[in-house]
Amino acid sequence: MTEALVVVEDLHIHFGAARAVDGVNLAVMPGEVLALVGESGSGKTTLIRAIQGLTHPTSGKVLFEGKEADARHLPDVQMVFQDPTGALNPRRTVSEIVAEGLRIEKFKGNEAEAVSTALSRAGLRPPERFLRRFPHEISGGQRQRVVIAGAMVTEPRLLLADEPVASLDASIRGEILGLLRNLVDTTGLAVLVVTHDLGLAWNIADRVAVMYLGRIIEVGPTEELLDSPKHPYTKALLSVVPETRGMEQQILSGEIPDPKRIPSGCRFHPRCPVLQSGESERLGIAERCRGEDPAIISAAATREAACWAVKAIAVAG
Amino acid sequence: MTVVVGDRKRQRWVEVAREFWQARSGRIGVIILAFFVILAIAAPLVAGTDYINPVKARAAGLPQWGTPAEVGPLGTDHFRRSVWDQFVYGSRISLLVGLAASFLTILIGSAVGIVSGFVGGKLDSALMRITEWFLVIPFLPLAIVLAAVLGRSLLNMIFVIGITSWPSTARLVRSQVLTLKQRTFVDRSRSLGGSGLHVVRQHILPNVSGLILANTTLAVPISILTETTLSFLGLGNPQTASWGKTLEEAFVNGAIARNAWWYYLPAGVGIVLVVLAFTLIGQTLEQIVDPRLKDRR
Amino acid sequence: MTALLSVRDLTVTYRTSQGEVPAVRGVSFELEPGGSLGLAGESGCGKSTMANAILRLLPAGITTTGEVLLGEEDVLTMKPGRLRAVRWTGAAIVFQGALHALNPVQRVIDQITEPIILHKTEPDKKAAEKRAVDLLGQVGIPANRAEDYPHQLSGGQRQRVLIAMALACDPDLLIADEPTTALDLMVQAQVLAVLEKLRAERQLSMIFITHDLSVLTYVCDRLAVMYAGRIVERGPSDQVFERPTHPYTRALAAAFPTIGDRESRMNPSGLKGDPPDPAALPAGCPFHPRCPDAIDRCRDAEPPLLPSGPAQEAACILARP
Repeated sequence: MTEALVVVEDLHIHFGAARAVDGVNLAVMPGEVLALVGESGSGKTTLIRAIQGLTHPTSGKVLFEGKEADARHLPDVQMVFQDPTGALNPRRTVSEIVAEGLRIEKFKGNEAEAVSTALSRAGLRPPERFLRRFPHEISGGQRQRVVIAGAMVTEPRLLLADEPVASLDASIRGEILGLLRNLVDTTGLAVLVVTHDLGLAWNIADRVAVMYLGRIIEVGPTEELLDSPKHPYTKALLSVVPETRGMEQQILSGEIPDPKRIPSGCRFHPRCPVLQSGESERLGIAERCRGEDPAIISAAATREAACWAVKAIAVAG
Repeated sequence: MTVVVGDRKRQRWVEVAREFWQARSGRIGVIILAFFVILAIAAPLVAGTDYINPVKARAAGLPQWGTPAEVGPLGTDHFRRSVWDQFVYGSRISLLVGLAASFLTILIGSAVGIVSGFVGGKLDSALMRITEWFLVIPFLPLAIVLAAVLGRSLLNMIFVIGITSWPSTARLVRSQVLTLKQRTFVDRSRSLGGSGLHVVRQHILPNVSGLILANTTLAVPISILTETTLSFLGLGNPQTASWGKTLEEAFVNGAIARNAWWYYLPAGVGIVLVVLAFTLIGQTLEQIVDPRLKDRR
Repeated sequence: MTALLSVRDLTVTYRTSQGEVPAVRGVSFELEPGGSLGLAGESGCGKSTMANAILRLLPAGITTTGEVLLGEEDVLTMKPGRLRAVRWTGAAIVFQGALHALNPVQRVIDQITEPIILHKTEPDKKAAEKRAVDLLGQVGIPANRAEDYPHQLSGGQRQRVLIAMALACDPDLLIADEPTTALDLMVQAQVLAVLEKLRAERQLSMIFITHDLSVLTYVCDRLAVMYAGRIVERGPSDQVFERPTHPYTRALAAAFPTIGDRESRMNPSGLKGDPPDPAALPAGCPFHPRCPDAIDRCRDAEPPLLPSGPAQEAACILARP
């Protein structure tokens, strides 16, 4: 097995009483696209900032190539944002924006050449056409490509993408996702993409990790996980994707609880359809669901769900 | 390539200039200001310093309280000094004090605002407490005390105005920096590994510079009025003839009772016009650089 | 059966510094009582402009021509007083971004009773409040949250409050402009379920606008796809989604992949180029520069909307039954 690029070990990040990240193990391999799926309030954005070294863990650690992550690793870890318009300083030209990463790391080579290469790799060809433009003079899709070029110019090992297509037009979406996948396939870059969009995961991810209220509750290879989800939360999530056909909708009541008041036992149990339908009772695990926290999924797990019912069925079967 | 980028930036300034000129208020402001700037620069050509000196004025046989009809452009005062000469040279003092004090105001205000807004946390609280402290102290008594303690000189005047009027600028700049800090491009720069200094220089400063510029032009009239006030209260430099000081002397020596309008009117109108010019320019600039105000026009 | 809403040759033109920019260029459609129409398209295609034009909510300086018949009356020529009445009692609109549409310093219940009291659809304040609580219940918000301020509610709850507000005066038509775009998946499903329930229970007619074609097939029985200010394809929603005949609809349908469909796995599909600038539309068929199937003839003239299948129409010279 190859060495992991990023290892997150038993990570906890608290903001006062709020446990934004509450025990996460995760490994990102070189050359893979890992989709971190979750709704707002699941803690995925905090996790990303910890991997960047911009938020300090309350406990646990984030290792980047075996060394503890801090802001010094940033040239190796780059970021793509949800809203490309906001991510570009309106007073700077495309070439200045793309060159910023190089200037920060005091790049010794030919800056103009590096910028042009990055732009063409991001699909802005010929680069000369874009260098002197200001962000408001190009389209939304092109702006996201500029953000990607600015991230790729320092030749990072890891790209963190936070909802990279959520604010783009539907017809642009495929092109940007294709670009990300292509960069991974041609450069061996790893991409950790944070999204609530399961279709995006199906489009480009090798693996999927589903996050709920500060913890990863299911991981697995994309096809396995999306074809046959195990955790009731993943199942419900998948059933409400408008793109899934022929699956009975399972709409959960309420919303993700406040991370200041994480429910006891399994954190999902107050909304869990398995518990509500009496299925847990039949399996004889209802008490566990309410009172005992399922073990945190390890970073090495290839396919696992943090759910008492899944474990009980596996033992029984 | 950098040259071309520079060209594009210059283009933007050309656009701002054109837009400025197209706004009537900006145009009027510039014309009035240009008149007084030319007057101040060309002072030796249109006026002399001799008749500002009462001894020389007396030697030249100028009358006391001479009306404009009797002794040329704007008559003379109780010391037989030429009011025209005082007015012309006074414009230099008023403009100089106004600009220098505003510069000081903006320098302190922007520095405090940027540091406070960007660094945040305890430093922000501390700086904001100091700012509020300056804001709640009645301005005029503080300035009077400072001016009295430091002594009556031009430099002290500038210093007193600067040190007492920066807090509102600091608060304005801070609030702008706080909004900018939330923008994703600051996040992006951070995640590229940019230091705080880098972020401030590359992303914060260029985006607050317009605001600072507009604020500067709006600070000038306030500085000029403050200078007038302090001089009128007798805290100005006795050696130099600023407009404020002219007004003070006219008032003290009963020019109003004597109906010697030529003594107090020029300085008064001069102040009003210069203040108006800077205010018009400042407001026009503000509207151009602040897109939120643009829609309201 | 007469149509509830009938839009005829609607055009909307913005006046900008670059001259006149057409946002909607001759759109006609009808909506039956109890029917639901989904309008799909990307930003700048004119779908939101059209929704606002139907209730005359566009700012001054924008020219709207054509006819918008709500029942027998033309909304575009109505007197202001009548228009105000129609806006709540005849047709109501739900916008996206629920936070801005609610007054932050007013209790939720007061915001819902406001239109009821204004239009006197209930005899007194007491009855209006009872109705407001009832409406909140219908959209799934418990009565004890009625006294809350908007910031005390979650994004999904605020969106539901907006729906309840729109229904306050029992309109015949509800226009929902991207009501779920900013919401999480589960919350979106909850809101869609509420709309679906209301439609079934109250025989409410609905125009639903979004860029996500599959959401529309879930809530609407008919679909219209807009591109560059015109409808380029329409028909029964399942049919349009499963068998699109216009290449743009095909691209839009494929943009959000069907999970489990092997063809889209590791193969995201999109269109090259960007949505067109309404101020500078390409000649001929405005879609031809981005169209994967374009032929020379596409540059010549803009194709009209013609039958392309059973009950289906498309504005494409290559889409003929």
